Amino acid sequence: MKKEPQVESGRAIGGSKVWRVVQPILAVIVTVIMLFPIYWMIVTSFKSAEEAQLLIPTLFPKSFHPENYLYVLGRANFLKYYWNTIVMTAGILFLQVGTGVLAAYGFAKGTFKGRSAMFYVVLGALMIPLQVTFIPLYMLCAKWNLTDTFLGLILPEAVSAYYIFMMRNTFMSIDNSYIDAGKIDGLGRLGTIWYVLMPMSKATLFTVTLVTFTNGWNSYFWPKIIAKNEVRRVLTVGLAQLKNTFAGQAVSNYHQIMAGAVLTILPVIILFLIFQKYMMTGYSKSAMK
Amino acid sequence: MAGKPMLKPKTKSAVGDFLFVVPALALLLCFTYYPICKLVEISFTDWNLLSDDFTYVGFKNWKWLFAGTGAKYLWNSLKVTFLYSLGELAVTIVGGMLFALLFNRMSRSFGMMRAFVFMPKYVAMSSAAVIFLWMLNTEYGVVNYLLKLIHLTPVDWLNQKSTALLSVLMLTGWRVIGYGMMIYISAMAGISKDYYEAASLDGASSSQQFFRITLPLLSPTTLFLLVTTFLSSMKVFQSVDILTEGGPSRATEVFVYLIYRYAMVDFRMDRAATAAVMFFVILLVITIATMRVSNNNITYDS
Repeated sequence: MKKEPQVESGRAIGGSKVWRVVQPILAVIVTVIMLFPIYWMIVTSFKSAEEAQLLIPTLFPKSFHPENYLYVLGRANFLKYYWNTIVMTAGILFLQVGTGVLAAYGFAKGTFKGRSAMFYVVLGALMIPLQVTFIPLYMLCAKWNLTDTFLGLILPEAVSAYYIFMMRNTFMSIDNSYIDAGKIDGLGRLGTIWYVLMPMSKATLFTVTLVTFTNGWNSYFWPKIIAKNEVRRVLTVGLAQLKNTFAGQAVSNYHQIMAGAVLTILPVIILFLIFQKYMMTGYSKSAMK
Repeated sequence: MAGKPMLKPKTKSAVGDFLFVVPALALLLCFTYYPICKLVEISFTDWNLLSDDFTYVGFKNWKWLFAGTGAKYLWNSLKVTFLYSLGELAVTIVGGMLFALLFNRMSRSFGMMRAFVFMPKYVAMSSAAVIFLWMLNTEYGVVNYLLKLIHLTPVDWLNQKSTALLSVLMLTGWRVIGYGMMIYISAMAGISKDYYEAASLDGASSSQQFFRITLPLLSPTTLFLLVTTFLSSMKVFQSVDILTEGGPSRATEVFVYLIYRYAMVDFRMDRAATAAVMFFVILLVITIATMRVSNNNITYDS
């Protein structure tokens, strides 16, 4: 019993009998309201242009128009944006996990001089967001010809101080005796990380990496600045662009925009539905620390 | 390892350990610390994106920002950002707490509902923003349709000053309320049941139990949400960019949007950099202030 994370401690107002009846009803109503925007997006994405603009909206499409998706993938170039987003996210993921795990090992188990001072350099980076540094970063990338390239999209996001911080704390909680045992078996440092530390912190590693993935996939600010051109535009930026293309024509293409919105969130939402247990504690874990 | 044979084994192992933090540190220095230094430099130049060369102009940009034409916009965006932060804080903390009380029951169906309520957090802001753009559309939006159903006048949500920021906050609220809920629910799970049993024996009503036990014991959690949400809400950009582009007449021009406008719309890198330095100082002050507070924070439970 004690292991269940959701203990009923909302007992504060949970005692009365009336509440026990009202609570589920109210909860269902609130859930339906919270889900409505997602429902509305999906429903609109299958409507025809005419049906999307009825003055009395239909709760369910009268006729299905999956061609909205084909239009967005083809004519609106979302297939290209998908590829760009996948490569960018993969690059960010690879570099953040790579540098993160290595640095976490160094900071957690290393014994070099100035270790704590250097760790403050990492923590300090948490206070300098891209929203502050994007101007010089843009200059730098322009100078190195990195605008509209994958490298330009990826490099400024190659290190996550948050990732290092989380993994360092996890590695520190692992007793040194395990590492010593590994050494006796002839493991070097990389072997120690791969065979001892990483398997022993699987849950945190997985959670934090999922957060990294979704942050990369959903990122918008930097891609909008560095990859304005079609060739390296990512989904989130392309979706916002879809709205602008038709700015003059009022709402005539909201059925297509909604199809684009579905396509943009699909991979992350599927991940969420599969791994919701991890992805919901992902945030609270850092909170409870 | 073959590099320096003269080093003592101890030092050699230290150098080996150090190598592991080098990639991260090098990238941070290059893509975080170098830019922040460069940023300060740009704020003292007249550099714009259109020309390559620039000259140092002293405090000209700073004067412009604080006392010149820019001052009006600076204070406006500070005010807008602050109002937005207040709104996001209210939804995360008050809304999150109410949702936590509502959804805090141990059953499969409640677990599922919690997941659905939390899900908007993972809906990319781009998608979420265009959904709200559509729902809040003046003529065909479903929100105005519902208003008409109950005989209220439809609202021009995004195009009038009085409701534009509220619309942005509706979008934010939808995405963050489930997060506040989850944080509170996991904190509530950590409160020992003994407190409630003892209180019941003493005849405390459920509302007394909530205000005397639950709320005080959750104060570290509330403080955590307050600090982190405040800091992240200061950086709001994307929702504003897609919903209103800072308008109408700058009613939703939050600070990052102001910087963005100077840099990428007006191509005045000098002014944008000055505003960005200012923004960094604000973030720094808030961080240090909140760290002070959290260090003295009152914890009731171990």
